[in-house]
This record gives sequence, C-alpha cells and structure tokens, in this order.
Amino acid sequence: MTTPDGVASAAALAVRDRRRWPLPKLADPTAPLLVVEDLAVRFRIPSGTVKAVDGVSFRMDDGEALGIVGESGCGKTTTALSLVHLLPANGTIKSGRVALFGIDLVPKTEQQMARYRWREISLVFQGAMNALNPVRRIRDLIAEPIEVRLGQSQDAARQRAGELLELVGIPAQRGTAYPHELSGGMRQRAMIAIALACDPAIVIGDEPTTALDVMVQAQILQLLERLRRDLGLSLILITHDLSVIAETCDRVMVMYAGRVAEEGPVRRVFMAPRHPYTQKLLSAFPNIRADRRTLEVIPGMPPDLRTPPPGCRFAPRCPAALPVCVEIAPSEVRFADGVRVACHLYPASDVAPVEPQP
Amino acid sequence: MTAPAVPADGGPGAVARPAGRKPSVLRQVLARPDGMAGFVILVVFTVLALVPTLLVGPLQTAVTATGPRLAPPSIGYPLGTDELGRSILNLTVHATRVSMVIGFLATIVTVLIGAVLGIMSGFVGGRFDAVTMRIADFFLVIPTFVLAIILTAIIRDVVGTGSTEILGIRLSLITIVIVIGITSWSSTARIIRSQTLSLKERAFVDRARVIGAGGGHIMRRHVLPNVTNLIVANAVLVFAGAILTETTLAFVGLGDPFQPSWGQILDAARQVGAPSLGAWWYFVPAGVCIVLVVFAFTLLGNALDAVLNPKLQARR
Repeated sequence: MTTPDGVASAAALAVRDRRRWPLPKLADPTAPLLVVEDLAVRFRIPSGTVKAVDGVSFRMDDGEALGIVGESGCGKTTTALSLVHLLPANGTIKSGRVALFGIDLVPKTEQQMARYRWREISLVFQGAMNALNPVRRIRDLIAEPIEVRLGQSQDAARQRAGELLELVGIPAQRGTAYPHELSGGMRQRAMIAIALACDPAIVIGDEPTTALDVMVQAQILQLLERLRRDLGLSLILITHDLSVIAETCDRVMVMYAGRVAEEGPVRRVFMAPRHPYTQKLLSAFPNIRADRRTLEVIPGMPPDLRTPPPGCRFAPRCPAALPVCVEIAPSEVRFADGVRVACHLYPASDVAPVEPQP
Repeated sequence: MTAPAVPADGGPGAVARPAGRKPSVLRQVLARPDGMAGFVILVVFTVLALVPTLLVGPLQTAVTATGPRLAPPSIGYPLGTDELGRSILNLTVHATRVSMVIGFLATIVTVLIGAVLGIMSGFVGGRFDAVTMRIADFFLVIPTFVLAIILTAIIRDVVGTGSTEILGIRLSLITIVIVIGITSWSSTARIIRSQTLSLKERAFVDRARVIGAGGGHIMRRHVLPNVTNLIVANAVLVFAGAILTETTLAFVGLGDPFQPSWGQILDAARQVGAPSLGAWWYFVPAGVCIVLVVFAFTLLGNALDAVLNPKLQARR
C-alpha cells in the first residue's frame, strides 16, 4: 500500500502493482481489465418481458473510473449488477459477454461467481444504514468478507479491518462502534472499507453519495479519488449527479432506455455533447457559472421497455429526430476523439475512420 | 423496595458518556423499580437455592425429623412442621433448589429448541418452515398441561425412574426438564421466526450474501445477534412458566418424592389433608415462594421488554 500522500507517479505504480496481485487462474495477464460486449438483460414480469439492458458495450482499463448516468430506469444499476450476477430473481442475462481479465463471467455458475465477487469486483451500496447490521461492530462487518472470502482467522481479519478503517479515514479504535454511533459520512466510509476488504480490482459504487449532504459528498468523492490513485482501483460510478461524474470519472457512459447513447472521455462528452439526449440531459442540470435561468426539461417520458420503439429509443422525445430515427435503430459511431455515439445525426460514412469495437 | 440503588442513567447525564453509548441493559433494567424489585427477589431465591444447608441445616427426612407432628409455627419451628415432624422452613428452603434448577434447565432447553428452530424456519423457509411450524402449532393447540402429564408418564416409562444421576441431577428431574422443553418451545420458536422473517429482508442480509456468506454464517452472525434481546426477554418468561409447570406436575404426583420441590410440598399437604385440618403453615410458604418467584420473573421480563423494545421506549 502506498502512502496516502503519494506522488503523481504513485498512481501509475499502483495500477501496475495491481496486476501483480494474484489474479484468477484463468486470467489472461495481457487482456484489458473489463470488456463488456453487447450485454442484454431481461426481466420477466407478469405483464411481459422488460428489455432493461439491450446491447450495451463498454471497456475499462486498469485504474480507470467510468461514470454511468441516465434517468431512473435506464438500466444503469442493472448493467452494473449483471456484471457480478446480482440481478433480482426475475432478471436474466440474455446474451453478451463480460470479460474480466479475459475471463467471460456470463456463463459462470453461482458457485464460480463467488470467486470473482468481492475479490475482483465489489460494491458500495447506497444507504449505508440499511446495509450495516445494527447490532454488530463495524470492525466485525469489515472483517466479515476477509474471513468468509479469504478464509483468514478472526484476529487477522480484525487487524486488517483496522487498517482499512484508517485507509478510509476512520481511526482504527472507532472500529468497536456500532453503526448507529457513526455519522452518515462515516457509515459510507465504512461501506467503502467493506468493499475494499478483499483488494478488488473494480469497485462499483451504486449512487454512493446519494442521501449524504454536499460537504460529506465531497469528502467521500475525494476519498474514492485518493483510493483509486493509491490502490490502483478501477471505479464504476452510477449516479444521477452529473457533477459527481465530472469530478471523479475519466470516462462517462450516458444511457437511455437500456442502451448507450453516448460514451467517451468526460471532458469531451460534457463540453461538446453530440447525442441530443446528452445535450438535453446537460441542459437540464444547473450550471454554477451560467446565468440564472430556468432549467430545461426533456418533454415526455422514457419508453415502456416491454415494447420499446423500433427505431432510436429517444426518437419520440428527440427535438432533432429525422424520419429514419423512428424506423431504424442507430448503430454506434466512433469519433476520432474517443467518443462513440448512437445517433442518426452522425452517419457512419461522414465520420472519418471508424475503429472496430474493442 | 425503595429508591433504586443504581443512579438513574439515560437522562441528561448520559450525554457525557464517550460516543454517547447507552448504559448497559442491566443498569437500565435496575434503574426501573419493577426491574429492581424482580432482581432483588430473584437474588434472594438464588441464594436460598445455592446454600440451603448453610441457612437451615441439612434436609430433614422421615428419619432425621425431630419435631412434633403437624405443629403450628413456634420458636423452634418458625413455619411449623409436617405430618412427619419435619420443619416446613427446612423443606421449603431446600425445595427452592429443585424448583430453580428445573426452571433453569427447562428454560435453557426451551430457548435452545425455540431459537434454533425459529431462526432456521424463518430463514430457510419453504418446506422446512411449513413442517416446523405445523409441529409448533400442534404443541400450541394441545393443552400444555395434559400433554405434559402424558409425556412425563411415557418418558418415565422409557428411561425408567431409577436413582441414576446425570451430572448430579436425578433422572426423574431430567424427565421433567425434557417434558417442559418439549411442551413450551413452540411459542418461543414462533416469536423468533416472525422476527427472523423481517430481518431476512433487510439490506445487510443481502450484503452478507453478496460477500459470499452461507446461510449458517448469516444465521449465526447476523440474525442471532438481532434476536438476542427477544430471546432474553422470552427466556425470563419461560423460566416463570417452567417453574409453574414443574409445580403442577409435582402436585399431581409426577415429581420426584426424594427431592422436595414446592409442588411436592403442596402435594404432600394435600395428601395429608392439611387444608381441612387448618394446617395452613404446611402449604402457604411454598405457595408464597412460587408466587414470588413467578412475580419476580414477570417484573424482570416487563422491565427487560421496556428497555430492549425501542417502540415501548419511545412511548415512555
């Protein structure tokens, strides 16, 4: 573990170190960290089948932070949870590939997944109070995955739990406290410590700062940022809050109705959004530098995902919709600056070299 | 009982405590008058049960009895004597041990069966839950006492009534403990199960599962600590019930004639016809003891419930 005030090169070092840690047996050391291809998730409900996620692809490299944004019900959380097979009982991965270190996780059985869950990909849940057992000391809650997953003794696990608490900025002595004795921010820190317990390669934060006040939010984001730098972690951050993504992430993936609308480096996407949905989403968010103005709203509602529109799913609400939009679903177009967009406004032929999908 | 000996915590004074930790449950219970009263009564009876010989001499038998027969209270015999000339004080104090030991063991058996089956059936659910709860229902609807009498007779038939001892406790007493355990676990199991059902849906159980914890681990480490307060509060009430059941069984002649219990004394008094002879000293002390102990447990149980149950706390 590097020192908390590591120099700039520490980040690169930590990322490289991460690869030397024991990888799963089947891992290909040269493969990218995570490649998701054409992921499709279905939910069976009494009134039909919901196509919650439909053909989502993305790629993450070591030490990268990916933000996923979109309206409620656009498939952000479903995408993230399906990576580690934590979908509700009525949800199934219909097709696609989730390759972690080159190992496809989709066909893994529940038992095989246990090896990857928490040790390679862990989660920080929203609402720390509910996810912490009220009658157990936080030290023991942090030690739990170390005991259960890594099979260490209780003493060793407690020792490590103390280190993890220090790492997330809680004095180790406070480990004997019960969850109700901690503040909201400290509870969220404890949740992060639990997620880090088994040295995962990827941490998924499902709205980790929702329900915290702004000051505490900033602290938690700083903490995540520091951990990423020091431990060489990769982050997947799911949030409604565009400012959180702007602050912490390298890349952003904008989802709409179970599909990727636009994905690319945060700066490019936020400064020059190409997809009309991204444009609308950004103008619906208050800007501290802009004049006081009425925030825009996107008229209409997201489509019913039991029977999604045949063409572009945003077409019914899109101000720039063309006739072709309602008929044919746009394919993804990759720009030279690393942004990919699924929109008919950018015909594949107009854009210079289209790189093949990773 | 006058003012409680322990300073009342939980008021403004508690703020000064580090990390705002609440005073321990025992302190909170003792700070309440009912908790304190119950506690003191039980301490007195525990002392009686632990060192009866020290207080009233060795247990008198028909052979060692010295007093007059069925004599009213006097200086030498503060609570009078029975039909064999034994001191009632001596008998009643010695009986405390048997009653308390049976109550204690029966409570352990009951709570153990009830908690294990309750947690498992709530957590595992499905067919296991259905079968366990139907069995529990069976024990709930059959009149406990009738069932206990029948069971005692059957078990005694099977294991015999000899003077074999297990851990220094005679077999006939063990029989009674088992009978009480079998007949009273179901309500405990039902209470624990209902709590487990609601705990099972909490996010921290999901989190533990995601981490990879198995069912046994979650039940032991997550569900059990959350139902401990229920188990404790329930155990106190089970204790009172167990003493009553033992008394009743002994009263109908299913006790152990060689080891006096309060029920045994009441039975002996009835056989001699003490009530019609006006020999009130024969049965009143044992009766008062039973009432006091059961009362003390009820007080303690109420106090525990008030301290441990957050809903009641808010109402106070």
